[in-house]
Amino acid sequence: MDRPSSKEKDLLKEIWPRVRRRHLYPELPHPVWEENLERVALEIKEKRISLSRGFVEEMSQVMDEEEVVGGLLDHAVSHYLYCPWDFSTHLKLYSEAKRVLKDKQMAMRATDYFMDVVADTQCVSQKESPLPRLYAHVKRGIMDEAIHALYQRIWGVNLGVEGYEEVARKLSRLPYLDRRRWPETIRRFSKVVQSLLEMEERFGGLNRPSPMGSHGLQNYSSQEIEQGLKDLAAASESPAEFKEIVEDFEEDLLEAASPNERGMGLGPGRSLEADILYYMKLAENYNLPIRKTPMHKSGSLYPHHHVPWEVGRPFQDIDPWTSFGKIMPGITQIWERREGEVFGEDEGTPDCIVMIDSSGSMINPRQQLSYAVLGAACACDAYLRNDARVAVYNFSDANAGGAQILPFNRHRFEIYRAICHYFGGGTKLHLEDIEQLQTGRNPDIFLITDMQITNLEALISYFNEHANRVTAVHIGDNEHVQTFRRSMKLRKNISIYGVEKKEDIPKIVLGKIQEYFARPSG
Amino acid sequence: MRNPFQEFRSLPYERKELPLNRIVKGKEAVMAQILEGYLRLVEEEVKDLVWLVEHSRVVKAYTAAVKSIRDLHYDPDDIDEFCAELDSSNRIPYMISGPAGIYISALVNLSTEDRITLRLKDFQRTFHFLGYRLPEGKTLILQGDVGDFVGAGLSGGRLIVEGSTGNWCGAGMMKGEILVTEHAGQNTGEWMRGGEIHVDGRIRSIGKTLFGGRIYQRERLLAPQDLSGEI
Repeated sequence: MDRPSSKEKDLLKEIWPRVRRRHLYPELPHPVWEENLERVALEIKEKRISLSRGFVEEMSQVMDEEEVVGGLLDHAVSHYLYCPWDFSTHLKLYSEAKRVLKDKQMAMRATDYFMDVVADTQCVSQKESPLPRLYAHVKRGIMDEAIHALYQRIWGVNLGVEGYEEVARKLSRLPYLDRRRWPETIRRFSKVVQSLLEMEERFGGLNRPSPMGSHGLQNYSSQEIEQGLKDLAAASESPAEFKEIVEDFEEDLLEAASPNERGMGLGPGRSLEADILYYMKLAENYNLPIRKTPMHKSGSLYPHHHVPWEVGRPFQDIDPWTSFGKIMPGITQIWERREGEVFGEDEGTPDCIVMIDSSGSMINPRQQLSYAVLGAACACDAYLRNDARVAVYNFSDANAGGAQILPFNRHRFEIYRAICHYFGGGTKLHLEDIEQLQTGRNPDIFLITDMQITNLEALISYFNEHANRVTAVHIGDNEHVQTFRRSMKLRKNISIYGVEKKEDIPKIVLGKIQEYFARPSG
Repeated sequence: MRNPFQEFRSLPYERKELPLNRIVKGKEAVMAQILEGYLRLVEEEVKDLVWLVEHSRVVKAYTAAVKSIRDLHYDPDDIDEFCAELDSSNRIPYMISGPAGIYISALVNLSTEDRITLRLKDFQRTFHFLGYRLPEGKTLILQGDVGDFVGAGLSGGRLIVEGSTGNWCGAGMMKGEILVTEHAGQNTGEWMRGGEIHVDGRIRSIGKTLFGGRIYQRERLLAPQDLSGEI
């Protein structure tokens, strides 16, 4: 970023408040000048708008400098306020464009232009903006010509474009300002501009950004990126669909990852494991509840809430800060005290051993949406959110080495990697492995399987002998499930859930026990 | 006390009426009428959601389609959009390929444009009966593969299929020309009375009964000389 001359500084100082007022004071930082933006007029990084000094100087030869700056700021603010609004919308639009165009570069370009059309049209329809005058003078490539021909038609202005009538006519029929219909609209938009994009590709113009700049992930905050990935995971029908979109943004995503996310597997220098990220983000949409262990009254009193003071009540509990310095019934506030609660012998949420079946009878989580992995991912997410640790026992044919053990830890990405591993062999578990993970504090156990386990009887005996809270989830229904249900019927510390479809997962309550205060003996 | 909203008093608050609003509103009204006509046709003709291809039913469906769109003002973009609606929209509760194709054909035949192009390769669904009764002076270009009975009853128009056709291409055509850049299915030209069919690729079989007309494969005349079936 360069030091602006006093004239440039004054220009922004003068125009930015006017633009903010025009757009009803958006919460955006003060824009800055940028020397190195060679081919585009502006750039937005983490909400800060950078204007190209070169572009403004060049344009000021043919129009008023204030109008150039005002137009650029209008364009940028409209992107922030209307389209794409957030990363989630950007991803949705991109995925629809990609569905039609089947090519990353073309889809990105179509998405950029679509968002420009929507943002600019919204701005022109609601504000007195110099944008049309600015567009009349910018340099244009093939796509820009077509888009400006569209602007001529839908804004009713003359931008000096000739030709592209058919494209402009087809594009002018789309309801750009109807947000609910954007997915369908961008599909149709992409179909119409496909031939132009192909032409640009042939002439090598696909990599050239549009004059007003392109829309990378640097525009968004890391929280928006998180939310966008969560929404995309929920909207994707399979891990492959999610992977296809996310991998297109791989470099940007790794670059944009915050230090926290770097610990979760994102960040520069690492490759993006989109399958794992899919289950991680999808699980965040569920928020499974965990029953905490029972609490006891502590016996001590603490200030809980305010009530009006009445004559006869103790003075020492009066709160002078909320009483306006007055001792007067009805005005004076007094602290109401309540008895505090503390956790019982195990404070907070216990740690959890996640046992996941990845035998051949289970779905390969990298090919299709696996309810087992999703269920386990939701459980891990819930325990980690509650500051507990998670251990993973991923098993198939443990006798033949088909088992993976991850000791208790809080490394989210490592945990998800362990539950996403797929063996695809027989189904037998080593109870000694589970026993190794048992700690003195009785961790919860979360088991997810189709119950077609060769040594199911041994597992049932194991659960009968232990006092851990067990949440057992079976995928589908079969005779083994019935055997397990029958055998566990009398146990108070075991809850069993069936999952047939994705919607069954939120019904799971982790650590729920049938008679909460009647702890099993042993 | 100062009014905190004083600042906003001078801001323009009325939304400007852009031509976009008028264009979108107008075309949505037309599309609603086209959809209404199609749904009425389907409700009348396909009561059991089963539609058998019989000559009388085809004629009846076409007549009903013509009647419902006769007074409509639409352009080729509306037809293109209607095809897209049939392909993927949830505004249409049922899409039955036969009547849908006949309805599209009626839209094409009654359009004021002489040359219409439909990008069918963008769609997942296959449309049948496209180009049905295409009249003289009209050219219909279908980009992508099409279904059965394409160009059936062709009445002097020029039908260009940039892709392959299904079975019964040009069945019962009277006059005009069908050009297929790829392959044609079985019974091509069945019951044709006049006109020409040109296929650049393979033809699975020619119709058993031809009353007239000519069928060419890669500019070689196949019918009327050779009516032997499999080529």
